[in-house]
Amino acid sequence: MSTLALQVRGVGKRYRIGARKQADRQGLLHRLGALARRSQTDDRTFWALQDVSFEIRHGENVGLIGLNGAGKSTLLKILSRITRPTTGRITVDGRIGALLEVGTGFHGDLTGRENVFLYGSILGMTREEVRRKFDAIVEFSGTGPFIDTPVKRYSSGMYVRLAFSVAAHMEPEILLLDEVLAVGDLPFQRKCMEFAKEMQRRDAAIMFVSHNMFSIKTMCERVIYLRRGRVVYDGPTDEGIRLYEEDCRTLSQESGLEGDGRLTVTSVEVLAEDGTERHLFQYGERMRVRIRYRAHEPLEAPNFIVAVMRADDVSCCSFSTEDDVASRPVVDGQGVVELLTPPIRLVAEMYRIFVLVRAKGFQDLIAVHGPTPIHIAHDLYDTHFGVFHEHGEWRWLDEAGSAASRAASDTSLTR
Amino acid sequence: MSEVTESPGRISHRFEIRPDLGLFDLELGAVWKYRQLLFFLAWREVRVRYKQAALGVAWAVLQPVMVVIILSAVFGVFARLPSEGLPYPVFLFAGLIPWTYFSEALRRGSVGLVGDAELVKKVYFPRLIIPLAMVVAPLVDLALASGVLFVFLAWYGIWPTVNVLLLPVLVLVSMALALAVALWLGPINVRFRDVMHTLPFLLQIWMYATPVIYPLSMVPERWQPLYRLNPMVGVIEAFRWSLLGMGEVDVAAIGVSLAVISVVLVGGLLFFRRMEGSFADVI
Repeated sequence: MSTLALQVRGVGKRYRIGARKQADRQGLLHRLGALARRSQTDDRTFWALQDVSFEIRHGENVGLIGLNGAGKSTLLKILSRITRPTTGRITVDGRIGALLEVGTGFHGDLTGRENVFLYGSILGMTREEVRRKFDAIVEFSGTGPFIDTPVKRYSSGMYVRLAFSVAAHMEPEILLLDEVLAVGDLPFQRKCMEFAKEMQRRDAAIMFVSHNMFSIKTMCERVIYLRRGRVVYDGPTDEGIRLYEEDCRTLSQESGLEGDGRLTVTSVEVLAEDGTERHLFQYGERMRVRIRYRAHEPLEAPNFIVAVMRADDVSCCSFSTEDDVASRPVVDGQGVVELLTPPIRLVAEMYRIFVLVRAKGFQDLIAVHGPTPIHIAHDLYDTHFGVFHEHGEWRWLDEAGSAASRAASDTSLTR
Repeated sequence: MSEVTESPGRISHRFEIRPDLGLFDLELGAVWKYRQLLFFLAWREVRVRYKQAALGVAWAVLQPVMVVIILSAVFGVFARLPSEGLPYPVFLFAGLIPWTYFSEALRRGSVGLVGDAELVKKVYFPRLIIPLAMVVAPLVDLALASGVLFVFLAWYGIWPTVNVLLLPVLVLVSMALALAVALWLGPINVRFRDVMHTLPFLLQIWMYATPVIYPLSMVPERWQPLYRLNPMVGVIEAFRWSLLGMGEVDVAAIGVSLAVISVVLVGGLLFFRRMEGSFADVI
């Protein structure tokens, strides 16, 4: 049985609301005056974390999820000793490596080589250790030819790659990762993923914070879900993500677009082709979107639209009853309408499905529902390949322009 | 877990994170573990200072020479300040060198935390490392300027005596003083940047309250006891004594210096530790 790497008991962190702003605005004199008068004006506080307890064992890979402001960063900062908790106690067993933001501590005027040593020592490595691993670090980062150039001349990708490489080679026993894997190009991202898995094989404990449920799904068996500073879920990944996505949905329902209310979309289910409920689809699968609605008055040929947005708000594709010549002349009362999509060729990423209902044509907005999050998985094609990916047909021609071989187009099907 | 035993000298291992440290728990062990970071931060300061300057490190030599020329012209030639029988530029240079080091160390030590705010917000290490590195870094400039000074003295036909062996100790004393004050000003500066803006004036006033451009003998007798409470008085006087053989070793002044420095330093350490926990939240 593996040993405990982290034991967190009753940790809380209290912040003063606007303490910093007040200091800036009112200045030293006011504050000194307030101190002298024992003024109560600064007593407005809020708890960024409250009564957080959990344990992580060596060899475990735990995802930390939660909406913005749930306390994820605060927790990481406490675990990495950047700031102290207000209450509670944490026992740490092992060398902690925290990558909250890659490359802080890099200095633009220093060369890549100099920064490797500086950053290494910031992360707690000794000079001998960095020297021993130097070649491996440079090799991993792929910045070899530029290692003696000041890093301010690096592209942001190179910069981050070099920094991550240093961090990757400190071989921590407890690794705290804050979305750093979301940097760099595709091959480098893969390297990072492999690195994290390798760390885990070597019995490191990993805590991974991300908003990308897809990465969480691929990386972690267990998630801790924070909501307003408290642990509301700690267990298997799938259930945790479901809770998180439910919260995302309610959140977006509270704000944003609104229809005029003549029709209500009561529920939207995303199903696999065989009708089972699903949120993770493989590239190339078909998807069913089942929409339940209640029309409060007879509507003439309302246009039901299913729009797919990527996590970064790129509108990817949409389907509409009008466009697909599937509108009904009149819609009234309760009903269900279902869309079966063609095979999805979108690249691997998280997407959100919105259902919109417009009056005949693309006019007035009658109802909005969403987003319903889904993930599309593919082990190669991600956003670096574009919005979608389809295989093309290639032909080799001779100089006269006639086909040299007819077999080539068939190969694309087998990949 | 075998990893740990394979690589000695790594920083790690079993520890507790608690809301507050004991009042007198200075965690100096952690500072020692991170001594290489201290070295690298100081080294970074030195590197960055002269990078992308056409003359590079030559500035470390040129700057004090320019200052000596300007101040000698103003105070030696025009104001005709006395200089204890020595050529005024020699007298001035010998006092200016420790003062320049001290004021640089104090200035950088105090604003260093804010200058490295990104680091403080994003990475753990004992925060004491930053002011320490900042008072160590200007030693390089001090060494270079001292080289110039010795050439300068030789030019005037003044050769160092055995007294010169005391110089390193005096440098250590000024370093301790700069650190002691920086330990107070640094944490305050994290919360109130007013420190940053006040510092140049503070240093200027302090310089005029120290016998750098004028000799101690110019200070009226009855003010001397008060004047000597300034710990830099003893340091600068001892510097001149060890370099130029000027005057006597003023044991009383040195004693006052050491006493004041010890009090401010220990208080500063405790104060710094107390404030350290909230740096990342307020910086």
